[in-house]
Amino acid sequence: MDPALRTAATGMAAQQLRTEVISNNLANVNTTAFKRSRAQFEDLLYQTVQGATVLGTRDSKTTPVIQIGRGTHLAGVQRLHTQGTVESTGRSTDVAIEGEGFFQVQLANNQVGYTRDGNFQVSDSSTLITNGGYTISPGIKIPTDASDVSISKTGVVSVRKASSADIQEIGRIELARFANPAGLESMGENLYTETPASGEAIHGFPQEEGMGRLLQGSLEGSNVEIVQEMVDMITSMRAYEINSKSIKNSEDMMQVANNMSR
Amino acid sequence: MSDPTSGMTSAASALKYWERRQEVVSNNLANVSTDGFKAERVFARLVDDALTVPDMATDMRGGSIKPTNSPLDLALDGPGFFVLDSPNGERLTRGGSFHLDETNRIVDAHGNALLAENGAVTVTKGTIEIDKGGSVKVDGHEIAKLRLEAPPAPGLSLQHEGSNMYVPGTARQPLGADARIVRQGALEASNVDSIGAMVDMISVQRAYASVMKTVTTMDEVRRLITNDIGKPV
Repeated sequence: MDPALRTAATGMAAQQLRTEVISNNLANVNTTAFKRSRAQFEDLLYQTVQGATVLGTRDSKTTPVIQIGRGTHLAGVQRLHTQGTVESTGRSTDVAIEGEGFFQVQLANNQVGYTRDGNFQVSDSSTLITNGGYTISPGIKIPTDASDVSISKTGVVSVRKASSADIQEIGRIELARFANPAGLESMGENLYTETPASGEAIHGFPQEEGMGRLLQGSLEGSNVEIVQEMVDMITSMRAYEINSKSIKNSEDMMQVANNMSR
Repeated sequence: MSDPTSGMTSAASALKYWERRQEVVSNNLANVSTDGFKAERVFARLVDDALTVPDMATDMRGGSIKPTNSPLDLALDGPGFFVLDSPNGERLTRGGSFHLDETNRIVDAHGNALLAENGAVTVTKGTIEIDKGGSVKVDGHEIAKLRLEAPPAPGLSLQHEGSNMYVPGTARQPLGADARIVRQGALEASNVDSIGAMVDMISVQRAYASVMKTVTTMDEVRRLITNDIGKPV
């Protein structure tokens, strides 16, 4: 009966982990461009507990081979890169991506980071930076005397200079996408980095080569749906409970066995 | 009752049977959230006309298909298995979350390559599309056709290996073209019926207690025989 107790305990631990992941999703329900995660489990090794034993005195029947599983464990936490809702903010340097793709940012150690958080600012040196202070790559320099920054659906950034009435094109935002975005490594601050699991980055301009389009004056909200998370939380809670019942049941059986001889 | 211990032996084997059954129910319940998990069923076989011995079968019914939109999440919305290249030989799986490894092959969580008709599938970059029949397209060009295998014949069951893998049997057959329903961007949920398992657990406990009662009754009869019969009047 002891293995049954341990098996049920792995089930309880799994549901606890699942609840932790759900909690993190719920905590980020208002985080710009947050992508929800999901805990994934797999079954543990199976143990062959009988079979091939010759039984009885009258005949030599063998008992059937049976394999008993010993529970579950965490296989990984997968991030689900589905589109979040696009919310209008009215700020000219807020850009949302509708469809596939990530903005590229220059990280400190010459690495490239990827983000879908388009809450951009203009830095002291007049370049377009993310909320975390990372320069977007390829860099876009906004002249100090510029007004009316406009970013087209295809990523073209243009400004109107104070001195003239003409609109001047100053650069174009480039996006990157991946064969398997779920394989990207999350670094916090809404940033991701490329890994072998994600595949190599594919570069391109918005609305070309399968990239999504840009929406100026909007931000992509979190893709966490509260109702979905609540339902998951309830099912997880029930699954936790039922595993505890399975421990209780095994324990009751042990007690029955212990009371056999009085 | 030729053998004086036979009643006790039968009861002991029945007790063991119900304990095994409880272990299996525990494992099913522990895996209610495991993607692609298939519940196990235990049933009794009578050996030697007196002994209850457990036997098992895997419930191969499909779990519900949940969309994830991740391009390398694969599920089968019908019978069959994908084939993996594991260090211990080829293994079967019902799908799961795959990703790319250092050499750009499509691999599972343990680095076992997903096999196509011409070996592992290599994708450097591009949009991966996998259609219903299992052909893998990168940016619209077909690069491979996934190997899919048919489930074992009725009555035979596959050996489990943990990590959602099964050891293929001796008779292996490819899955027919019309039975192939590969779903890209989806995962198959566990097929464990938790309510049914709960009911099963209650009956296991009750049955265990009643077998235990037969043991104590038999013991009581023997106590009477040994202590009371032959007592000087």
